[in-house]
Amino acid sequence: MDMAIAPPDLEPASTRPGLFRTRLLPYALVIPSVAVIGGILAFPLGMLIWLSLQHYGLRELIQHQGDWVGLGNYGAILVDPLFHQVIVRTLLFTFACVALTVVLSTLVALLLQRVSRVVRVIVMSSLVFVWATPVIVSVDIWQWMFDYEFGIINYLLTQLHVGNFIHHNWFDNPLQGWSVLVVVVVWGAIPFVTITVFAGLLQVPSDLVDAAQVDGAGPWQSFRYVTAPMLKPIFLIVICLSTIWDFGVFNQPYVLLNQRPSADYYTIAIYSYRESFGVTQYGLGASIAVLMVIVLVIVTLFYVRETLKVAEIQ
Amino acid sequence: MRLRKPWVTVASVAVALIAAACGGSSSETNNPSSQTGTLTVWLMNGSAPQTVIDEVNADFKVKYPNVTVKVEIQQWGDIGTKLDTAFGGSTPPDVVELGNTLVAKYAAAGALEDITGKKTSFDNASTWLQSLTDSCTQNGKLYCVPYYAGSRAIIYRKDFFASAGVTPPDSLDSLLTAGQKLMAAHSSDPNFSALYFPGKYWYAALPFVWDFGGDIATQSGGKWQGSLNSSSAQQGLTTLSTLVSSLSRADKTGDEAKQDAAFAQGHVAMIIANGWEVGVILDPKAGNPALKDQLGAFPIPSHNAGQSAPVFLGGSDLGIAAKSKHVDLANAWVQMLTGNKHMAEMATVGGVIPNNTSMLNLGTGINTTFYNAAKNSKFVPNSQNWAGVENANVLPDMLVKIFTKQQSIPDATKAASDRITTILNGGG
Repeated sequence: MDMAIAPPDLEPASTRPGLFRTRLLPYALVIPSVAVIGGILAFPLGMLIWLSLQHYGLRELIQHQGDWVGLGNYGAILVDPLFHQVIVRTLLFTFACVALTVVLSTLVALLLQRVSRVVRVIVMSSLVFVWATPVIVSVDIWQWMFDYEFGIINYLLTQLHVGNFIHHNWFDNPLQGWSVLVVVVVWGAIPFVTITVFAGLLQVPSDLVDAAQVDGAGPWQSFRYVTAPMLKPIFLIVICLSTIWDFGVFNQPYVLLNQRPSADYYTIAIYSYRESFGVTQYGLGASIAVLMVIVLVIVTLFYVRETLKVAEIQ
Repeated sequence: MRLRKPWVTVASVAVALIAAACGGSSSETNNPSSQTGTLTVWLMNGSAPQTVIDEVNADFKVKYPNVTVKVEIQQWGDIGTKLDTAFGGSTPPDVVELGNTLVAKYAAAGALEDITGKKTSFDNASTWLQSLTDSCTQNGKLYCVPYYAGSRAIIYRKDFFASAGVTPPDSLDSLLTAGQKLMAAHSSDPNFSALYFPGKYWYAALPFVWDFGGDIATQSGGKWQGSLNSSSAQQGLTTLSTLVSSLSRADKTGDEAKQDAAFAQGHVAMIIANGWEVGVILDPKAGNPALKDQLGAFPIPSHNAGQSAPVFLGGSDLGIAAKSKHVDLANAWVQMLTGNKHMAEMATVGGVIPNNTSMLNLGTGINTTFYNAAKNSKFVPNSQNWAGVENANVLPDMLVKIFTKQQSIPDATKAASDRITTILNGGG
């Protein structure tokens, strides 16, 4: 009898901690990070969505009470022709910046593999310097370089007989102005991508490249069929991150154009800021920000999926 | 038993004192010396000279020895965002200097205390400058106190004028002729501008619109209608565009921030500027003190010879936050700053135009021109949504499109007018 009773007594004693250990412990361990992520990501995002569903102007801000308008803000934004222009412009700008950044950075990274140690140290430290310069400081310097009256770019181009660039205004023509902006943004983006791709290149076994060359592959072919496929995960991550950063660009156009960019120079982030803080329509600004997140998710979905696939295979 | 009574008295006095202290400026404690608390004041960079602020605070301390005044100087650049945030919070500054074009927005949103009943407690209230009083008034109620004004005229180089053989022009036609002679006299200098006019300088463009009878917007039946595309406004802008294309080498997409530095460098004969900019031009660090005797000023001429064009009356007002816990103290501080004694100092030491017509005789020397310009002045549409027009850069963008010839004047003014109509009537 004792024996028969004993097992039920023992069973809870042995399975309870086991249940805790196998089922609840992982959740308990995950709680702190979920709380932190919830606090710093989910809560503000939730607030943003909540704000985007209200008419929230200055009066509402002062009284801490908005008027519920449902999807009214979204309706107003989606029919605004300026919004369409801004979205298309931001996407084109993002595409140009990401493409240039990745191509140029890969070229620099490949170069780094071939140069002597001394040159490599010099190039690497220059890259780190660029990376370490605060954006506002570097954009201010760029602004002086492209200045209408005192800019060194105008002076140099004139001295080099490229043309008469005295009093040339780089921001008169938006296409030219955006080209300057692409230069400034790509310049700032190259260091991170170069260093990341270079780190990836170090992982490519040199005997594979050697073998390809022995088999008669030229430099382009060995890059195309040996190196690039091995770097695919790195390229995916770098493209994904660059897209997110360049799509949300704000500082460069805002500072370069003296904090008062004209509508020709609105990116989606500047447009959202203008509606919120310029015209004091916080609800409208919030809905632009939400749409910006949605567009970004659609654009990056492909890369995120590919990245996950690669991660699963590995 | 005997001991108990004083105890009760002491306790009740203590309770009363605490209540008074918490109430701050409750009507029971009219004695200024018993008032306590901290008064926070936001003034804008460059408005009152530090000496004037110190004197106001010293006088205030004499009357309210137990009140601390904290004057915080704010920058113009991001003030809109900062004010929104401050008024949105629960403890905004008690006294706020507001650019006169910003008041309507904050008054309409309920951020400012209605001080209609206290108007007569301020010195010179009956002779306040009309444009500033208008900027403080909404639906017949007063929401702020006029602080000071600024109006623009043309600052010119006497030596350049003399060597080119021209005199200050008295009409827009002669301004163009004089400018062309100056350009010819300096044809060897590729950086020379007879009239330096940066493309986004909308304050200086308005006189041309007004001079021909145009306006930014008109109101009828409670609805605003943008009117920059009226034929008279277009005429003014066409005249300005001709002046800019023939006389100015300033950045057509730039703003006026650098114009004093450019003038001080010596490649500029005329700029449209505020009176205080004379000080910036002559500043030993940023400017050129050697130009002291070469500077003159004349009003922006009208297209009718012998008259001057109406100018934009810029300036600042002092508002009291509706959420302030020291409304009476705030009122008292504003009374002191805008009182006869310190207002006169603002004019003589600060070089700004005082808030009332009785003091307009205080202008001396080159300042006289600017003081006189204030008498023929106009203001932007007095709408709570005007700040939206400013923040959306409607006027600067329109001017840039016109000066860079990206758009024709009819197209650019039409687009701007439509946008102004939308914003003033409450649409984004």
